[in-house]
Amino acid sequence: MDNSLLVDSFQRLLADAAPLSQLRSAEVLPGAPACWEQLEASGFLDGMVPEALGGAGLSVAEIEPLIAAMGACLLPAPVAETMVVRFWSARAGFALPPGAVVVLAPASAMVPLARHATHALVPTSGRLDLVRLQALAADPFRAGGAPIGQGGDVEGSLPADGIDLLAVAAALLAARMAGAMAQMLTMTIGHANDREQFGRPLGKFQAVQHNLAIMAEEVVSARSAARIGFAGLDFDSVRSAIAKARVSEAAHRVCSLAHAIHGAIGATIEHDLQLYTRRLMQWRLAFGGETYWAIRLAKARLGQAEGTSADFVRSSLQSEG
Amino acid sequence: MDTVSLLNGFSPAVIPPEAEALRAPIKAFLADWTLKSPPHRRARSWTAFDRDFSRELGRRGWLGLTIPAQYGGAGLDAFARFVIVEELLAAGAPIAAHWIGDRQSAPLLLRYGTEAQRNTFLPPICRGETVFCIGMSEPNAGSDLASVRSRATPEGDNWRLSGSKIWTTYAHEADYMIALVRTSGTPSDRQAGLSQFLIDLSLPGIAIKPIMLGTGDSDFSEVHFDNVLLPGDALVGVAGNGWSQVNAELAFERSGPERIYSSLVLLDLWITQLQDQADDSDLATLGLLLARLASLRAMSLGITARLAHGESPIIEAALFKDLGTALEQDIPAAVANAVSARPDRAIDPELLRTLAYLLQLSHVFSLRGGTREILRGMIARGLGLR
Repeated sequence: MDNSLLVDSFQRLLADAAPLSQLRSAEVLPGAPACWEQLEASGFLDGMVPEALGGAGLSVAEIEPLIAAMGACLLPAPVAETMVVRFWSARAGFALPPGAVVVLAPASAMVPLARHATHALVPTSGRLDLVRLQALAADPFRAGGAPIGQGGDVEGSLPADGIDLLAVAAALLAARMAGAMAQMLTMTIGHANDREQFGRPLGKFQAVQHNLAIMAEEVVSARSAARIGFAGLDFDSVRSAIAKARVSEAAHRVCSLAHAIHGAIGATIEHDLQLYTRRLMQWRLAFGGETYWAIRLAKARLGQAEGTSADFVRSSLQSEG
Repeated sequence: MDTVSLLNGFSPAVIPPEAEALRAPIKAFLADWTLKSPPHRRARSWTAFDRDFSRELGRRGWLGLTIPAQYGGAGLDAFARFVIVEELLAAGAPIAAHWIGDRQSAPLLLRYGTEAQRNTFLPPICRGETVFCIGMSEPNAGSDLASVRSRATPEGDNWRLSGSKIWTTYAHEADYMIALVRTSGTPSDRQAGLSQFLIDLSLPGIAIKPIMLGTGDSDFSEVHFDNVLLPGDALVGVAGNGWSQVNAELAFERSGPERIYSSLVLLDLWITQLQDQADDSDLATLGLLLARLASLRAMSLGITARLAHGESPIIEAALFKDLGTALEQDIPAAVANAVSARPDRAIDPELLRTLAYLLQLSHVFSLRGGTREILRGMIARGLGLR
């Protein structure tokens, strides 16, 4: 799969429509984000909709790098989630309300980006309801997330079609987190090369070098796991479990190393690093943390008595659906 | 290398169908054998030496997979070797007798050897008949490999070799060693002046002493060379080019499934015993290990794809090995923690034997093939920090 041209043009779009410099103002303005019109006009929101229905027909695997790019710039809009909901809606022949900005809302103590959405997709018995969002609680992380309770007007519904909404939400979030962590690594390498102490750049100190190497290892491992969440023709709960468990586990270590290397400046409101940390810390606990997904993954392994763990890992990538 | 290119270096790769087709036959072969060998033996895997087993693999065409057919190999790509090696390691097969030759010596000779060396040595490696070892570390040159002191001096058309090697895996069982030694300059010249030699270990003047480990096994040896007369054609590649030749091997040495599966037999034994008594703590422990395993396997495949394209991604391989050996070390620690969480419950004797072995040896997993500290220095340099 080589869709680097697509990813490049998407990154240019994000840099133009939602530069990081505007994120602080987005944090205090709930509701549909300012960039939404431009994103709508770009056609990316229909990226997964089949070509016959006017979309770009992107596969699950092809959207993963796009979501990582959203994470890298902390895009304050549920674009990945809306892309998936538009795909499901097109498949079901259902027309979303114009301008709907949709988050996925399986039972979860926290729904990231909910405060920047107009609608939530909520599982009910056998269906997925599109619920118009009402006023949401303030986000203690100031990252646009919120719990989504009961109630709100149902403006349509989709057949559940065997969709494990929590698994899809977790996979999308894992890719976003992996992209954000990669950007933290870039920022931290830059800081280590620029900042001097004891008459030389921090990056010249072996202790700092080794911490950066560990950080790079976690970032690469997390991204590899996130890609597994998108490895099949469709989402799958075992693949999501691999992705969200590993990515959430990596998030704490990546954030703590980034801050250790930046020093206290990284935690100040002027510095971009804390924008990443606040979100990663929230996203880690949204849609199930590492323990939740680890337990689901282990149960799937115990349910497959035959074969080695290598077989289990391999077959989890091959089984479709 | 920036973050983006580092991540692109691990782009997802899928094993091609023709390589995947090798899996079922070797699985069938290993299924019979696995039943006969208890887990605590199988946990030794690529440190367990069995010439007959390696010859049997050679007879079945499962060695020298990436070596061209004209030298006795299968002429396939790195993915074919990945599949075979993955199955051998997951089963815990005793593969030490062919391991070094198949993984490193054969590709090295194919790349740098003379036609005569290829014709002489590659076919018996592919048949699993000739055992190779690699002489790198010395008593005073461990992680600081460039400070090797063993020296070969020209003597007419031949060479005279004196010095010592240590921690050489299975030198006491091997037929040949490929050694990195100094041919010019002094240890202060570092990487310059080093060369590789292919040494017949039956030559006069060579003394080999196995090193006994606390486990009771002897995987390594100490080798002394006392004025050993080497023929001129023992030189591999170009005199003085040894360092870069050794570095070309590193991506092969550090990127394979052997850096993630060394504790897999234990993990799977624990899983069979968890079936009816797992609590949430056991499940959480197991799940996190499996998630790491899955991500590492994907990383190894990503590097394999680049090896198949003829690249030598040594930074990526260093990063993968550091993470992979950490998993191999964390598995025995996690299993030990889990089975000791309920002191009133007996530990299955076979699980205990397997666990005891790995709890002793796993500390070495991050030493063999380059220590953590060396690897992290390489990664940092790769990220542009030095």
